[in-house]
Amino acid sequence: MTAVTAIAAVSAWAGAAALVLADGRRGLAVGVALVTFGFTALAWADGAWLEGSFLLAGGALCTVELIRRGPPDWGLMPPGSTPRLILAAVAGILALWFAASVTTGPDAPLRFACVAVLGLAAGRVLQGHAAASVLSASAALAIALASASALALSDPGFAPYLIGGMIAGGALFLPVAEPRGA
Amino acid sequence: MEPELACALPAVGAILTAVLRSRPRLALLVGSLFGATAVAAIVVAAPGMASDQLGVTLSFSAMTRTLLVAAAGALALVVGFAPSGADRVGLLTWGLAGFAGMTAIAAAPSLDLVILLTLGIALLHAALAGRRSLAARLRAPALAVALLGAGLLFARAEGPPMLSRFAAVGLAAGLVAVLGLLPYIHEFDAEEVTAASPIAWLAFLGPILGMVIVTRARELVPSAAAAFGAMLIGLGLLNVLWGSLASWLTEKGTSAWHYSFMADWGLVLCAFGIQVSDGQAAAVLILFSLLISRLPLYLWSRRSMRESIQTERPINLLAAAMLAGSAPFAGFAARVLLLRGATQLYWPLALVIGVGLLLWLPPSLRLGRSLGAPHGRQAVGVGIALALGAAIGLYPQPILSLAGL
Repeated sequence: MTAVTAIAAVSAWAGAAALVLADGRRGLAVGVALVTFGFTALAWADGAWLEGSFLLAGGALCTVELIRRGPPDWGLMPPGSTPRLILAAVAGILALWFAASVTTGPDAPLRFACVAVLGLAAGRVLQGHAAASVLSASAALAIALASASALALSDPGFAPYLIGGMIAGGALFLPVAEPRGA
Repeated sequence: MEPELACALPAVGAILTAVLRSRPRLALLVGSLFGATAVAAIVVAAPGMASDQLGVTLSFSAMTRTLLVAAAGALALVVGFAPSGADRVGLLTWGLAGFAGMTAIAAAPSLDLVILLTLGIALLHAALAGRRSLAARLRAPALAVALLGAGLLFARAEGPPMLSRFAAVGLAAGLVAVLGLLPYIHEFDAEEVTAASPIAWLAFLGPILGMVIVTRARELVPSAAAAFGAMLIGLGLLNVLWGSLASWLTEKGTSAWHYSFMADWGLVLCAFGIQVSDGQAAAVLILFSLLISRLPLYLWSRRSMRESIQTERPINLLAAAMLAGSAPFAGFAARVLLLRGATQLYWPLALVIGVGLLLWLPPSLRLGRSLGAPHGRQAVGVGIALALGAAIGLYPQPILSLAGL
């Protein structure tokens, strides 16, 4: 089970790194899919079958919508991506340090995944200009935040997962309005 | 059952108002009915009494219930006394949608849900047609959500005591980022429609969101409550200074209003940081006056600002006095309570806040003049806002009692 959760956590980080490194819709879709897989596996490993299913449904909807709409390009690591690559690597190392060294107790893989995805998705939202990349990062944020509720002392119930899944699934369906005046 | 109704009714009202848009009178009637029923459900709901009809425990605190009533009052004023030709159906639709989000945030059982709901609202708000791009509008709220989430993670992790202080930093930074205060001022376009602009965060959603985040944060990191309070006071003073000076000196009238909201929020942060009952009472009164006075006056002044009309009639001076927080308006009572609370905590802080309060006068005169010469329905609205402000300022106890203070 430890190996599964470790692989799931690394998958979530890899997905967030792909979101940071990709500009094309296919690249973003792979990112969201990996983040979804990682957090769903972590929820299922914890016995939260229904909650994990909400995340899976939301993330899958977002991934399909990313693949379906827009030009089918990958846009992975376009020229000038070195700072993004460094960000992805440093965020992973810092998250690992936080989850395994600074903090103690169980759920280290979940802590690692949450910190890494929160940091990288926030970085993507701050740096992104295209609607698809910002919305994909928001979907990843929603999935990570919903999963972080499992770290609470009391049982969070299904609500955070349901709302997180709904946000992730609905983000790409939002109409992207063209800027216009008052 | 009341919290569920309070969340669902404005949401349904917003949808129906949007559907009936082609028949404005019917849309306004239906939306108002749903909104009024939601307010009745909020008023009837006993503070702290939990309801679990949907598998999620929902309840309102006394403070959030009070601010929800104030927000509903602000929406009623804005829609009911909108200047002729204004898109009242649009205002009611987005107002009800925002109100539904606010009630959900107020009733949410945990900070996790509050953060997720904030992200959902931020996405919907960013999708509104406006002058800024979706990415520009989503930037600050999404950063806020990530910072609040990080704060939550730090607060829950087992480890050195320093973690709770990092949690307090994350929560304070997330709070100012979501509101759009320094150092995370939201990108502002003076020509953008109000519903899609950062004013929606500062003046409509902000009061409930701020109150809920501060209350939950104190429960989450009790060991770092002093550090959290100190950060709020520091950020509050920064916004008081920057907001009031910028509101006075900036070129555009709409930007001056934007900065004036920031200055008011600076006072609220100081009041939240002063963790004595007078501070909390001051915070409630400032938020109340922000909702029922400053927000409607801002919306009513937009047309005269577009037409570059500035007048110096008695009504402009009265509006300026209310915006400056002078007696007998609600802002005055709030400022007295704030200074009394600050004196109890650390008297030099009261001195600094007192000096900061003097900076309100020049921008308030400017903002009062920008209201132009209201007439017809709009003049009635300004009169009601002034009367409400004076009534609360003269006798604030009913509001404070409603807020459990």
